[in-house]
Amino acid sequence: MALLDVKNLTLEIDTANGWINVLDKVSFSINNKEIRALVGESGSGKSLVVKAIVGALPERWRIKADRMMWQGEDLLNMRQDKRRKITREQIAVVYQNPATSLDPSATLGDQIMEAVSSKLLSRGWFWQKQQQREKIAITHLHKVGIRDHKTCMDSYPHQLSDDVCQKFMIALALVSQPKLLIADDPTMAMVPSTKIQILKLFKHLNQTRGLSILFVSHDLLSIFSMADSLTVLYCGQTVETGKMDKILKRPLHPYTQALLDSAPSFSKGLERKTDLPTLEGTIPPLQHLPIGCRLGPRCPRAQKDCVKTPEERRIHEHFYRCHFPIHRPTK
Amino acid sequence: MLNYTIRRLNLLFFTLLVLSVVSFSLAFLFPGDSLTNLSGVKSPTPIQLASLQESYKVDSNYFWQYIAYLRLLLDGDWGISFTSQQPLLDDLSTTLPATVELSTYAFTLAILIGVPCGIIAGLKHHKIFDFSILSASLLGYSVPVFWLALILIQLFSLQLSLLPLSGRISLYFDVPIQSGFIIYDIFQAENIDKTAALRDVFFHLILPTLSIAIMTGTIIIRIVRRSVLNVLEQDYIKAAYGRGQTNAQVFWKHGLRNSLLPVLPLIVTQFTTLLTNAMIVEVIFSWPGIGNWLIQAIYQRDYPAIRGGMLMVSSLVIMFTISLDILIRVIDPTKGRKIRVAV
Ligand SMILES: Nc1ncnc2c1ncn2[C@@H]1O[C@H](COP(=O)(O)OP(=O)(O)OP(=O)(O)O)[C@@H](O)[C@H]1O
Ligand code: SF4
Ligand SMILES: [Mg+2]
Repeated sequence: MALLDVKNLTLEIDTANGWINVLDKVSFSINNKEIRALVGESGSGKSLVVKAIVGALPERWRIKADRMMWQGEDLLNMRQDKRRKITREQIAVVYQNPATSLDPSATLGDQIMEAVSSKLLSRGWFWQKQQQREKIAITHLHKVGIRDHKTCMDSYPHQLSDDVCQKFMIALALVSQPKLLIADDPTMAMVPSTKIQILKLFKHLNQTRGLSILFVSHDLLSIFSMADSLTVLYCGQTVETGKMDKILKRPLHPYTQALLDSAPSFSKGLERKTDLPTLEGTIPPLQHLPIGCRLGPRCPRAQKDCVKTPEERRIHEHFYRCHFPIHRPTK
Repeated sequence: MLNYTIRRLNLLFFTLLVLSVVSFSLAFLFPGDSLTNLSGVKSPTPIQLASLQESYKVDSNYFWQYIAYLRLLLDGDWGISFTSQQPLLDDLSTTLPATVELSTYAFTLAILIGVPCGIIAGLKHHKIFDFSILSASLLGYSVPVFWLALILIQLFSLQLSLLPLSGRISLYFDVPIQSGFIIYDIFQAENIDKTAALRDVFFHLILPTLSIAIMTGTIIIRIVRRSVLNVLEQDYIKAAYGRGQTNAQVFWKHGLRNSLLPVLPLIVTQFTTLLTNAMIVEVIFSWPGIGNWLIQAIYQRDYPAIRGGMLMVSSLVIMFTISLDILIRVIDPTKGRKIRVAV
């Protein structure tokens, strides 16, 4: 059974132009001990997927899904306190924007100690527990590479630089010892050497503790080196999802193909200083989403049928949504 | 922080200076002789006149006259009142505490009502409770203070005879004025039934306090409600929910502090509005405070009293506002400086 299984997740938000489907039938699943990557252009809705899973969205937004199962239990149709308990104890999120996701008026120490799971504490008096909490927090700060834990824990978020805050977010997520770590662009503000450290840490936790990871990123290279499987998002639709090696070898969706082509190490036979292949145009703004396949206006293979939304099709564990896939004979 | 304090104190200094200049020039703008307006001595003997002319330096130019005035102010010689022929500072020191006392109680009451109601309205956004609090606060906000005071008197004093009509304490309690703060003075007084006196003071306080507190309270409700709504929208609140914290945890640990911190300065500045309202209400309830005293001074064309009263009230307001600015800055952790952390 999959750890997390999301089927046809749809999210409507209210904007000045009325209700808009920002996520349209997003489906993917994460197995135990799997690292799944979620990629897509800026604005494709990756962070919204992340927030929808843990319920960190404004209440008035409309969220629907055929199922959103956590180990066989539907997150959307369970009591609120039960859902919170699951997110508290088993799922942890590294939010994309550390500066706004941390309480500005509480010290980082308070915030991380609060997140230490009480399961991990042995019995004892209140102050003994507090000491244990502190110890666990410090260990995790060291793990993510914050050596000066004292200063860090005494500071307020705005006093620290972005990359330290981001590392802190990672420590904050790991400190509850989750089963699933959702990391939304966790290495964005970091310099390459620290980035490698963090990715190593993730990989290590995945191998030793069996931590499953939903890894959201723009950085194709680190994704290819880390992830077991891949989900590609375009304009709030999952266009292709499957095992990493299968997709690398044979992408079925034109968008995935274009994405892979845009990563230098995967396009063979490039002359030096030639332009990387890209798709024409840019991701459409929310208020002008095309009907049917949202890639339509930019797709090199588009035909008349593409104004109808393509259904999800599958070959073994490989899903795609396209009327005219590459590498497949069309019907 | 030090920098901020110095800037604020600087502002305080110059504002006070400007206020003293204005009060000095009032003596020349009011009808009559400027020396009489400054000193308050209406028909001095030749000897008095000579000594007044000497201390106010009437023979030199305006600048030196102003310096002389400033020196007298600092020495505590503010002149005397036309009507009572008492030194102004003595009059002020009995009337001002009455006003400060009334306003402090009213402000405390306004906060005690306003903050919790604002928080609940914010949390129950767009539910019945929110709407009822909002409508009630709109009502309280739009009713003129003096009218409200009259209505309260009509209802509770005249019709129901529950509460006294005016004054601070019934006349049969003979409380000698020591500090001017009536409750303190009761404790210092001898030969009176203290419990009965306190009860009496309390009943006298109810109506004036209410009439002032209601308007400020409703403003505070609106400020706090807005801020709570704003904070609940923030990413870190959503993130805290996403970390699986319960509603109560999120509110007490993250919501409350962040809602109240940014509006603290706004709430505090309401005190000055409240003080103005208090001065109006004093007249209606014959409260022996500075508002009442100033109105009398205006009726009697007591120019030294008008000048001294205005100078005193405005200086107090400025000093109060600026010291609270500094205090708020001290307790607000979101205003610290950057720190480098070794990684
Ligand atoms: N609070 C919000 N109100 C209105 N629109 C929003 C809000 N949050 C996100 N959106 C819109 O939803 C779309 C998806 O946003 P999202 O943040 O999920 O993108 P993303 O894939 O995470 O991009 P990035 O890679 O830059 O983080 C964007 O077009 C964005 O404008
Ligand atoms: S459905 Fe049509 S437009 Fe969409 S990706 Fe496939 S070929 Fe392109
Ligand atoms: Mg994002």
